[in-house]
Amino acid sequence: MASNSSEKDHGNYVPTPVGAGVGVRDGESLKEVFVVGEDHIPECFVAGKDSSLDITVIVLPGCKAGIPLKFELTGEGASVRLSGIFLCKDDDGVSFDITMHHRAPRCKSNQVFNGIAAGRSQCSFSGRIIVAPGASLTEAYQENHNILLGDLARVGTKPRLEIYNDDVKCSHGATVGKLSEEEQFYMRSRGIPEEETKVLQMISFVAPVLSGCDDPVLAGRVEAAIREMA
Amino acid sequence: MDANEEDKIIQDITRQEYKEGFVTDVRQEFIPKGLDEDIVRMISALKEEPGWLLEFRLDAFRKWQKMKMPQWGHLDMPKIDFQDIIYYAAPKKNEDRPKEIDPKLEETFEKLGIPVREREALAGVVAVDAVFDSVSVATTFRAALAEKGIIFCSFSEAVKEHPDLVRKYLATVVPSGDNFFAALNSAVFSDGSFCYIPKGVKCPMDLSSYFRINAKGTGQFERTLIVADEGSSVSYMEGCTAPMRDENQLHAAVVEIVVEKDADVRYSTVQNWYPGDAQGRGGILNLVTKRGICKGAGSHLSWTQVETGSAITWKYPSTILKGDNSSSEFYSVAVTNNFQQADTGTKMIHTGKNTRSRIVSKGISAGRSQNSYRGLVMMGSGADGARNHSQCDSLLIGSACGAHTFPDIRSNNPTAIVEHEATTSKISEEQLFYCNQRGLSPEDAVGLIVNGYAHEVLSRLPMEFAVEATKLLQVSLEGSVG
Repeated sequence: MASNSSEKDHGNYVPTPVGAGVGVRDGESLKEVFVVGEDHIPECFVAGKDSSLDITVIVLPGCKAGIPLKFELTGEGASVRLSGIFLCKDDDGVSFDITMHHRAPRCKSNQVFNGIAAGRSQCSFSGRIIVAPGASLTEAYQENHNILLGDLARVGTKPRLEIYNDDVKCSHGATVGKLSEEEQFYMRSRGIPEEETKVLQMISFVAPVLSGCDDPVLAGRVEAAIREMA
Repeated sequence: MDANEEDKIIQDITRQEYKEGFVTDVRQEFIPKGLDEDIVRMISALKEEPGWLLEFRLDAFRKWQKMKMPQWGHLDMPKIDFQDIIYYAAPKKNEDRPKEIDPKLEETFEKLGIPVREREALAGVVAVDAVFDSVSVATTFRAALAEKGIIFCSFSEAVKEHPDLVRKYLATVVPSGDNFFAALNSAVFSDGSFCYIPKGVKCPMDLSSYFRINAKGTGQFERTLIVADEGSSVSYMEGCTAPMRDENQLHAAVVEIVVEKDADVRYSTVQNWYPGDAQGRGGILNLVTKRGICKGAGSHLSWTQVETGSAITWKYPSTILKGDNSSSEFYSVAVTNNFQQADTGTKMIHTGKNTRSRIVSKGISAGRSQNSYRGLVMMGSGADGARNHSQCDSLLIGSACGAHTFPDIRSNNPTAIVEHEATTSKISEEQLFYCNQRGLSPEDAVGLIVNGYAHEVLSRLPMEFAVEATKLLQVSLEGSVG
């Protein structure tokens, strides 16, 4: 059997080249909301020194899409807020493939993805956070929450942390569940009809993401889509 | 703690020695190196096995030949030459005294602190099955257990004495073609433990098996089969060590557990195979398939593991929750140091109604090691009202190591609830400062914090093991743990 050689790199960190994409220059900031199927979404963002990005991705019903998104934090002190909503019903299918690559020190990233799957829809979320060996004082957080509404709906989530530096604060959380019956009972006992309780629950479920989007027309479309799903 | 001090502590860690690294000089019999159908037949013949078991082995071998070694682990795996391994090594028996254990062998187990003989009854009420290289050398407390109808013996004895039971349950949880290493094990497995707890019997003592790889150039392929019949309960412990060698040695075991209605099984492992030296030379490749099935309603299976050894650990103790209202837990502490790599976690596959599972995984990486948690939580479409909660924390000590988390959550049932949370961080300066301020040295402080961090898992271990595990944790992180 082969023996390990001492020079062998057990680091496993593969220093892939920085992807080409939308560059956000040093000190600049970018805030964008993308609706999948309507807007062109760049596959890669490169964040420069002390830059700040605020990206929101919204998936409305009637969508079949794979959404690859890559963030390269190459400048020191860059910060990224990435959030998303996906509302899927019938035969919709959506799969997110997100990579948050921390390459420089003192960068921050925060991700929140909330999704609702009804009908026979299939949703998958794969989110990678990579912290390169030199990227100390990194703070990287990721959350993915899902609600299943139909017996035939399917949800899969793969949050991943790959950390090659000890001076970091990283976490991820993922949940899959249903609408709480206790909350519904609380509202119904106060005179709110059952259908409306579900709409309220779902709106509050996506609210943390929607709060970052200033477009009232889009917010109205999200609400309309939720009412249709309830 | 300033940078210099931190460096010093990390250097101390890498200077630790593996105290189980001695070799025992006993007369052993080997079979030729390499693997083909003749070797499989030879192993089967040496063990005087019935025809059906030989067929099982050959079938597995043919499946294995068509399989490729899995590459998905977050591991830097050295190339394994499967033709360069001796698949069977046994301490030679002295024909005149077949009932006695070789004194040298006994010495080995003595050094390891394993009570092989009944006289150790005073030391602790634990029944032990010790496996030395390929064969089981002694099983204690047979008589006491037999009174209750409990069968606890080596796998080969079970094949001879209880063939119906073995045949009924063998490979029902881990099929022979399940994965590359399970297929290899099914083809060449040499010995292991068999345990059967009859209906309604609570096993009066903890059962324990102890594995040791001694011979050079050999691999160890043991198989454990535990069957807990309706309403029974048992606590089972497993420990392992190996001598220090510059080459990698292969350990590919299979553990199968069948838990019938209302039965309760606790399976604890303290894994301390030789991890390789400070430069990453040698060490055991620990590539293990462990799986249990909660077959009947209300059954319960709990896995607790403390992983401190092995150059590479590739291990996912899993539970299939088939019976309604069944439950399972997975508690794990994995410590890696120097050049060790661990890719370990669990799979919880919920198919029954109202099934519950809980995962607590604590990873600690130091030196230049890589430590990954990989887990699957699957809610089948029939798993109404099922619930899972997973918590995976990683602690990093030193700037050259890595900690990774790869959970996979799949839900096919709208009434099931899955929750997963994971964190990665280093020991906080505030905690260290707090301890230092109260007169604890930095090393003691790190020790205190690491032990506190792992406490939730260590407290789940049976008494004797908890002591050993706490000590192991200290040895593994010597220098940073006081």
